[in-house]
Amino acid sequence: MMRGFIIAGFLTVCWVSVNAQQNYDASLIPKELLPYASSVVRNEEVTIEVKDLDNMVYHVKKAITVLNKNGDQMANLYVDHDKSTSIKYIKGIIYNSFGITVKKISESDFDEANAWDGFSLFLDTKIKSYRPVVSEYPYTVVYEYEQRLKQTLYIPGWEPNPHFGVALEKSSYTFLCKPDFKIRLKEINMPGKVNISSNAQGLKSYYWQMSGIKAVKDEPLNPNDDDYLSSVKIAPEKFLYYGMAGSFTNYKELGKWEYDNLVAKRDELPYETIQYVKNLTASISDPKLKAKKIYEYMQSKTHYVSVQVGVGGWQPFLASDVDRQNYGDCKALVNYTRALLKAVNIESYYCEVEADADYKISFAHDFPCMQGNHIILCVPFKNDTTWADCTSQTLPFGYLGDFTDDRTVLAVTPEGGKLLHTPKYTVETNLRNRKADFSISDDGELSGTMSTIFKGVQYTDRDYFLKEPKMEQYKILPRVYQINNMDIDDFELNQDKSFDPATTEKLKLHARDFATLNDGKIYFSLNPINRKGYVPRQVRNRTTDVYFNEGYTDNDEITYTIPKGYRLEKMVLNEKLDKPFGNFTATMELKGDKLTYKRKFQLIGGTYNKAIYPDVVDFFQAVVDADEYNVVLVKSGN
Amino acid sequence: MKRPLLILFFLFNALAFASAQDFPFGAVTTEEMNMKNYAKDTSAHAVVLQEFGKSSINIGSDDNLKQFYEYHVKIKIFDAKAFNKGTVKIMLYSNDKNDAYEDVSNIKGVTYYKDDNGFTQKAELEDKKVYPVKENKYWASHKFAMPGLRDGCIIEYKYRVESFRWYKLRSWEFQDDIPKLYSEYEVHIPAFFNFNASIKGYLKLTKNTSSVESTCFEARGAKADCSLINYGMADIPAFKEDDYMTSPKNFLSAINFELVDWQSPYDGSKHKETKEWRDIDYSLKTEPNFGGQLKRKGLLKDKVAAIIAGKPDDLAKAKAIYQHWQKWFKWDGFWSIYSESISKAIDKHSGDIADINLSLATALSTAGLNTEVVLLSTRDNGALNTLYPVIGDFDYVVAKVNIGDQAYLLDATDPLLPFGVLPFKCLNDKGRVFSLDKPSYFMDMSLPQREKSSYILDVTLQDDGKLKGTLVNYSTGYEAYKRRVAIKKFNSIDEYVENLNGKLPKWKFTKSEVRNLDSLDMPVVEQYDVEIKVYDKLGETKKATFSPYYIHRMTTNPFKLNERSFPIDMGMASEDRYAITVHLPAGYMVDTPPQTMAISIPNNGGKYISSYEPGDNSFSFIYLTQFNKSVYGTEEFPSIKEFYNKIIQSQKTEMVLKKK
Repeated sequence: MMRGFIIAGFLTVCWVSVNAQQNYDASLIPKELLPYASSVVRNEEVTIEVKDLDNMVYHVKKAITVLNKNGDQMANLYVDHDKSTSIKYIKGIIYNSFGITVKKISESDFDEANAWDGFSLFLDTKIKSYRPVVSEYPYTVVYEYEQRLKQTLYIPGWEPNPHFGVALEKSSYTFLCKPDFKIRLKEINMPGKVNISSNAQGLKSYYWQMSGIKAVKDEPLNPNDDDYLSSVKIAPEKFLYYGMAGSFTNYKELGKWEYDNLVAKRDELPYETIQYVKNLTASISDPKLKAKKIYEYMQSKTHYVSVQVGVGGWQPFLASDVDRQNYGDCKALVNYTRALLKAVNIESYYCEVEADADYKISFAHDFPCMQGNHIILCVPFKNDTTWADCTSQTLPFGYLGDFTDDRTVLAVTPEGGKLLHTPKYTVETNLRNRKADFSISDDGELSGTMSTIFKGVQYTDRDYFLKEPKMEQYKILPRVYQINNMDIDDFELNQDKSFDPATTEKLKLHARDFATLNDGKIYFSLNPINRKGYVPRQVRNRTTDVYFNEGYTDNDEITYTIPKGYRLEKMVLNEKLDKPFGNFTATMELKGDKLTYKRKFQLIGGTYNKAIYPDVVDFFQAVVDADEYNVVLVKSGN
Repeated sequence: MKRPLLILFFLFNALAFASAQDFPFGAVTTEEMNMKNYAKDTSAHAVVLQEFGKSSINIGSDDNLKQFYEYHVKIKIFDAKAFNKGTVKIMLYSNDKNDAYEDVSNIKGVTYYKDDNGFTQKAELEDKKVYPVKENKYWASHKFAMPGLRDGCIIEYKYRVESFRWYKLRSWEFQDDIPKLYSEYEVHIPAFFNFNASIKGYLKLTKNTSSVESTCFEARGAKADCSLINYGMADIPAFKEDDYMTSPKNFLSAINFELVDWQSPYDGSKHKETKEWRDIDYSLKTEPNFGGQLKRKGLLKDKVAAIIAGKPDDLAKAKAIYQHWQKWFKWDGFWSIYSESISKAIDKHSGDIADINLSLATALSTAGLNTEVVLLSTRDNGALNTLYPVIGDFDYVVAKVNIGDQAYLLDATDPLLPFGVLPFKCLNDKGRVFSLDKPSYFMDMSLPQREKSSYILDVTLQDDGKLKGTLVNYSTGYEAYKRRVAIKKFNSIDEYVENLNGKLPKWKFTKSEVRNLDSLDMPVVEQYDVEIKVYDKLGETKKATFSPYYIHRMTTNPFKLNERSFPIDMGMASEDRYAITVHLPAGYMVDTPPQTMAISIPNNGGKYISSYEPGDNSFSFIYLTQFNKSVYGTEEFPSIKEFYNKIIQSQKTEMVLKKK
């Protein structure tokens, strides 16, 4: 009975559109929606009704036409359920290109499995999934399902068209609640405004719709989705979450609720552990060095294992649990480190962050809501706020890297939430400085030494094999460089884990047949150690701005001692490029038998107007060309 | 007479007891705790100290036949790189559709570590930290992370699995990505059952004993002795993968079992599973989900008649049926060598590998064509056991149609495969050819396929420093398939060309044409009018260097190491040919021609040839690389590496153009 009532209520809002869109004949798709589209959302209706603080009904009806094989995966449906979310019903129909029904999909056709995110040991969420297998294109799948959410903290938002290659004929989103249920909403890149009204049942209705949106092309160096795609987000003022009540209108209140309900009182440690860390740091007076010592102890003792159970995956394991198990996820490990620091009277914050190595995503100042996918640690020393990621066993204390740097995060503290900004690594601090001293023998063999310093986000460049035994490293190092037949005679790899961390690599090497001898001439690659192999693809009618996530600087200098009695045959390399987003110089000079090559490459992170894109392509192409420069030496006098 | 017998019996029992033994749980030695590395392989991040597995067939609590599997291992972890060894996943067959589940029980785990004060401590795995997971339609698992890991710790865990699949005796992998000091597998097989064991890999067993266990099996009054067999291996090196290698399964040391025949303990009925190929032939022929489907010609009669109507010869008929099947079906992503019902699959327009290819074979024979089916093992599944017939080794089935002297292998699960071309995954080892009326036989699956690409660039050097002309690219054989897949990733040819040109910023494609995209038996031909930027301006200098390696210049050797442990798998024989003709502007001539070269891989393994031909104010340059084999032995590694080295060296040279 109740379900019938809900659908009736929902129909009053959307009836008109449902009626108008019953025909799923693929030929009715407007022609202007076809370019770059492998599938088209014909119609989507998302409705959320808040019936009570612990009862939300989420109803979706979605019709998608798949035009070719590339669009198949857009026709797959995945719906999750867990302790606080149940699926009331789920069904679908497959239509052929003429809009004639070929198959009805019932709930028993769906597969069920535990959710897997690619790295967790266990997630307490199950997924119902359906993957249509249709041999003739185009075809259309219409799904309809309803979930009951026993909470109101997380209100599913609306992203009408978040995928490449999908065009959108029409999508709508309706949010229904009692008039006294207050919300805040955020409209991102929305062409139209919200339509607020009251329905026949006296519920307040917020309604958005979009139509006729062309498929988004996958363009190289595009900004984060949120910067150019449309979406709506809704946050409650009052809510229930796993039986816990709360309310917030700002980050301070949200953070307070989170601290009290999710984080507080989970930091108790066994007496022995407290004594152990006290003893460990007893001789250190500087609190920052104390904290570093404790962080390193935590790193040596624990490792990362993600298990997501309990309060929606938001509550850290008890610190005592981590102390016993030696493992935890980001929440558990930050909570544990906080507890260890507390044992030596150092205050620290549990911070929620949107971690992403490709984009720097900040918590929006103007829209407090539950968000983030990672937890990091902040230690607020006087005038020297220090950050750390507790899931790594190797990173230095105070090092975040491009996964969480330069973005606004929420510190969840006993006093409430505080927005903080993580430190930025600049173009000058993300450094790779390399010097090589090579000589080329009469028979074309290269030999010499090379030393490189990596700093900033480049500090971790060698981490993936740093812990391998030396014998293995001898085999891995030649794969890092583009020098053929490279044999390492000796090497050193060191990491300085101070507050200005640096990785140093020193190599002694030789490589036979480095240079080609032919017809009295010697040929070799001027830059065999740091060649750019990537030119972003040219794009017709680019629609998005150009985004470089992280700036960096590479300096390379090679001195070659060449066989005596040769001169350069072709024009010397002399490339100088200077653009708003980067600069590059590559020069060479022959003095006697010393050939010196200098290269500097600098990329400046940030977002640039799309009009600059052709310059970006030209810039990288010029760098690639310069990096491929081939030296031709010819016997003097010839 | 009585006495000696008794003694013998005694001895036998004692022997059986001595060998039938798991190592004790919960015991570590100081020596093990203090181990800093593994002397025989100091690069190991962990080493298995002891590993013991036991499988037996017996009656379960529900009075049905069951297989009981016990696993027990003790691993020394030297450093954090091997902490992943502490994350354990026990896979369990679990099919909701027919209520068939395997159960795991008695999971026990403990970690031994030295605490911060140097004392050895134990951390035990808690029951509630073992998580049951539903993986997919057919599989579930139990997962856990061992507690208390730290550098130098030892983890030990054991568990027991009860399986209704008594007939699928567990295989055992001796070798893993970390070394093992000792690994032993023990099987108890009641005399009712007879299994074949096959050992894979290049390592030798250090223990291989068998004895008789008396009355180890009792079910509803039926009693039997068991064979008790122990397979042990000591000092097992870690398995390390090379680039360009065939499935590691082909090289890993393991032992597999296949049920040969059995007698029901309940009613004494005898069942033969495998013994010789003719037994397999018979069982496949009579198997409803295999031979049964191949016999359903009546079902397809009308459908096939319509497809082949008017086709002049057998080849045209076969092609028509194959193409129809490719279009009719969409593969559902599942693998099988058995089809429940080809008619159901045909109605649904979708099915698994066997649904599609067995129905294809049935359709071909319905058309009166000489048709067989080929069972094979795909590349990831590894090579076949050739000691004795093992049906369980096969994981894929294709159709084979014989027309005149020519045999064509057909797989209709991929709509882009040309007639007679198999997907790359199928090119592995041998296949077994079956038919309803002849004995089965082996055929080589790695042979005839080739991939071939040819680029022809014909351009004129302009005064503005650009090359202007045409590029034609022919992709033949498997290369044509790959090209079609690449093109079909885009919604239209225009979008493909846009993307292709996008990746070549110095090139401008002013006109493009792609031919034979849907004529799967023809080479894919791409023709482009091109402008290539070479010099900013021509004519400022008297001399200009020019590299003729305009497309795919090789700069880096794919082989970096000096030694090689496994054969080099190049997939299939291939040929890449590049021909460039450049017309020079008036007043220019070639000063230094490009280096030419001809080298080969020994034993007709392949060749690289570059040749130069001056023309009338123009020149032509051709370079071509050919690999004639799909797999090269380890002993050929130095010559392959050197082959690449020579090509790279040669392609570094440049030619010089000069003003007359």
